[in-house]
Amino acid sequence: MQNNMEKQTKFKVLLVDDEEIFREATARQLRVRGFTVLTADGGEAALELVQSDPPEVVLLDQEMPGMHGSETFAAIKEINPLIEVIMLTGNTSVDNALELMKLGTFDYLMKPVNIEELLYKIEDAHARKQLIERRQRSGSTTP
Amino acid sequence: MLKTLSNRLQKLFARDQDNTIQALDAAAVEELQLTFKTRYYSFRQLLTANTKTLESMAEIEKALQGVEPFSFSFVQKACGTVSINVFNMIKHMENIAPNKYNALRDSFASIQSRIDALLNQKKDLSDRRLVIPLESITSDMMDVVGGKMANLGDVKNRLRMRVPPGFVVTAAAHELFMNTDGLQKEVDRLFQVAGSDLDRNLDLVSSQIRQLILAAEVPEPIRAAVHNAYEKLKDKYEGPELHLAVRSSAHGEDAENSSFAGQYRSELNVHFSQFFHVYKQVLASKYSPQAIAYKINKGFRDEDIAMCVGCLAMVDAVAGGVVYTRNPLDRRDDNIFINSTWGLPKAVVDGDTLCDLFVVARDEDLTIVRQDVRDKDFQVVCYEMDGCIRTETDKSIAKDPSLSESKIRELADAAIQIEEYYELPQDIEWAITEDGTIFFLQSRPLQQMEATLPAEELNLQRFAASLIFEGGINASPGTASGGVFKVSKKVDILQFPEGAVLVVEQALPTWAPLVARAAAVISERGGFAGHLANVAREFGIPAIFGVTEAMDLVENGELVTVAADLGRIYLGSIAPLLEWKRPELTPMKGSPIYELLQQASRHIIPLNLIDPESRDFQPQNCSTFHDITRFIHEKSVVEMFNFGKDHHFSERSSKQLHYKVPMNWWILNLDDGFVHEVHDKYVKLEDIASIPMLAFWEGFVAIPWDGPPAMDGGGMTTILFRSTMNTALVTGSQTKYADRNYFMISKNFCTLSSRLGYHFSTMEAMVSERSVENYLGFKFKGGAADFERCLGRLRFIQEILERYGFRTSINGDNLDARIEGRNMEYMLERLKILGYLTLHTRQLDMIMGNSGHVNYYMKKLSGDIDQMLAGEHSCAV
Repeated sequence: MQNNMEKQTKFKVLLVDDEEIFREATARQLRVRGFTVLTADGGEAALELVQSDPPEVVLLDQEMPGMHGSETFAAIKEINPLIEVIMLTGNTSVDNALELMKLGTFDYLMKPVNIEELLYKIEDAHARKQLIERRQRSGSTTP
Repeated sequence: MLKTLSNRLQKLFARDQDNTIQALDAAAVEELQLTFKTRYYSFRQLLTANTKTLESMAEIEKALQGVEPFSFSFVQKACGTVSINVFNMIKHMENIAPNKYNALRDSFASIQSRIDALLNQKKDLSDRRLVIPLESITSDMMDVVGGKMANLGDVKNRLRMRVPPGFVVTAAAHELFMNTDGLQKEVDRLFQVAGSDLDRNLDLVSSQIRQLILAAEVPEPIRAAVHNAYEKLKDKYEGPELHLAVRSSAHGEDAENSSFAGQYRSELNVHFSQFFHVYKQVLASKYSPQAIAYKINKGFRDEDIAMCVGCLAMVDAVAGGVVYTRNPLDRRDDNIFINSTWGLPKAVVDGDTLCDLFVVARDEDLTIVRQDVRDKDFQVVCYEMDGCIRTETDKSIAKDPSLSESKIRELADAAIQIEEYYELPQDIEWAITEDGTIFFLQSRPLQQMEATLPAEELNLQRFAASLIFEGGINASPGTASGGVFKVSKKVDILQFPEGAVLVVEQALPTWAPLVARAAAVISERGGFAGHLANVAREFGIPAIFGVTEAMDLVENGELVTVAADLGRIYLGSIAPLLEWKRPELTPMKGSPIYELLQQASRHIIPLNLIDPESRDFQPQNCSTFHDITRFIHEKSVVEMFNFGKDHHFSERSSKQLHYKVPMNWWILNLDDGFVHEVHDKYVKLEDIASIPMLAFWEGFVAIPWDGPPAMDGGGMTTILFRSTMNTALVTGSQTKYADRNYFMISKNFCTLSSRLGYHFSTMEAMVSERSVENYLGFKFKGGAADFERCLGRLRFIQEILERYGFRTSINGDNLDARIEGRNMEYMLERLKILGYLTLHTRQLDMIMGNSGHVNYYMKKLSGDIDQMLAGEHSCAV
């Protein structure tokens, strides 16, 4: 298990949330488990990081003042469609969630997030990214 | 694209089978691996989403028992989680089998739109008046003026009883107030930010919202309407300067089964100059910590509650109190209970003092059957200018009855009339002025409970040694035990442990949020007519009040048993007393949130697609989310099995297992199934990293095979007969693919197609630390003997598999067995069992005609398996 974990977790995750307590606590938990974690307190800061230091997976809060989670998601995908985005939300209309899922968010997690579930989701999102990249290299085009 | 790929592969394989082309090139193997990985990945994701969906459904079903409180955000979250995960399942199914089940999307959309319609509905007020005088209010106007004032309107205008004049600032006014300057939006945002941490941040969120409301301006149209109503009231009013009693009259406040007892603000003796400030305080009290906690516990949404505000001319009372038209603690008791004290009735309601109790029988003479006259050392009276004050009662009257016998009867008589009008037991607040006029201030439904008294044969004397208090007031019936936790300051609320016995000095409404979390309540002061007693009864929490010096009587953490019906407290946990339990209360049932969840759940929970063999088992027939998950789960397993079945591979792309000698077992590595690159044509067991395959193999080689069983009569003839029919069974004419075993493996995955002896079996396993994704499927088919014997063997294997926890079914000559979602250790043991059975059930169809043999083998096989699992055999080949 231990080896398994170390092998799988050496990639970069960007955590975007305006709520500092949640952001820092979650970042710490992820770092302890071997992830490289970048954090941003809003959409604009997140986009800068996506440009300058691209992560593999983004954890993105839906409800943020300023640039909203959905807008941020769209902008990230525009910069780099291969980056997988997991949305986090407190309490939202499902309409919105389903729209974003159709547009290609990896998944939607409801806060408070169980850390184990979050870890699995990050790993799964990363696995998908690798699959898609591998498929692109081998010349396939299926989603 | 997957389809073209698999076509290509099939062509390649087909050619290979024809022995025309010898090998798949490296690129094709790469493609096969990639196809596998993609499907494998989607399948795992699909199973996770499936588990998550079923978990959320279970949560919804639990909530619908109505016992535990839940909020609107729970409903949103639970329904949302189901939607998102069902949608995920559809997406992953589309990856596994593109364009095959397109109708799923339509079914999903139509179910989702029905749920959305429920969750997004809002109610509209038709009566837009901001202020309505009490003379024109009746109980039909609940939505506009709130329950409390609507009921009081009936008492005044239909029953023609004496009620002070007044007016109501309506729900429309509240809406106008909250919609001015985006106040409601800001409130919503604050709740949203608090999210599920609301419980912990209750005080903070509450004070933020209340400050917002208090800082807002009352909109001009409301001011004008109130001024107008006040002037009219003043014209009619006879007496000294007009003061107002300003009371909350919120939606749902006085409904049956949810009294919001004491949660909202009421201000007495308000001078008009202070009115708008007090009005805002009442509006703000919708967000007091108690009120928010209560709302959560009873399942009201913020928008379900409009805060109407009743304004009555203040009655300067010499005595006042509450009448219960029946015994709230005992449904069988129809006597009338009058609680009374000196001064304003507020003292009775607040529960911070003792009061007189008069019990009146419903006979012709209204006989007073009981008079408990207490020392009413404190009372609440109007303060000269504004407000009221708690003051010491004049010693000369403190111990006198606060009502004369004639007033007791007059009250009882009126109470019966009001009860008859509403056809429900009532809780009526009243006040008497200096000149003896009785005013009615409020009437609401009274909740009655079943008494819980000990069985007569129980000798309480046995517990006398543990008795530490008796003679308390039964404020809420029942018995319970728990550790003592004394609360005297607000900060203590935060530390209060779930399930403790709450001990307080005064039965104040402030403690209400703790009641639902307490095992029982003990208070030094307060009576059974107080708010806290109401709340305790509503949540079915036993409570004893009037326990003098309770705070000194018990220590924090000490275990006590509260027997409220006996008015007694015992030290320790007295089991025979705790056995008298009332049926469980379901406080959520009937609340708007409960109804909402129930309606939404009808599109989620019911399962209509049950039989996968049925012709109705179609994506377009899915009418609930449960149907969709059931359908997808079934089909995804089939599709995954097809991967193993459809994609045969050449031995050149695979490796032959070398276990002591080269074996007839061939292995294709789909991903990370080998410890390292293997260049040789043989692969050794120690090169294999596939967890499920290794477990299977361990079982396969655990115990050597004794060779074919001795045949019962007829067995051989049958074999010879069938061998002539099926070339695959005839020695020497076997095709290249008969009697071989193929594994496709990755680290956590393995499929096996196996032809051993005269039967064919497939196995598919996914085993990792993630229990929810674990899956083991096993199919077994055929045999050389006649159908009866084959079936005999199928049943034989079925019985063994079921004994070890497999779910099985038999269709024709197919046995299908599955296990899902168990932990890794469990899964690996089951794989060992399959490994063992794969070897040891060879040719067992031969003996199925002989029950003695059958019994022998049943015993031997299960004995072997038990030994193997106990670790007594390890690789004994």
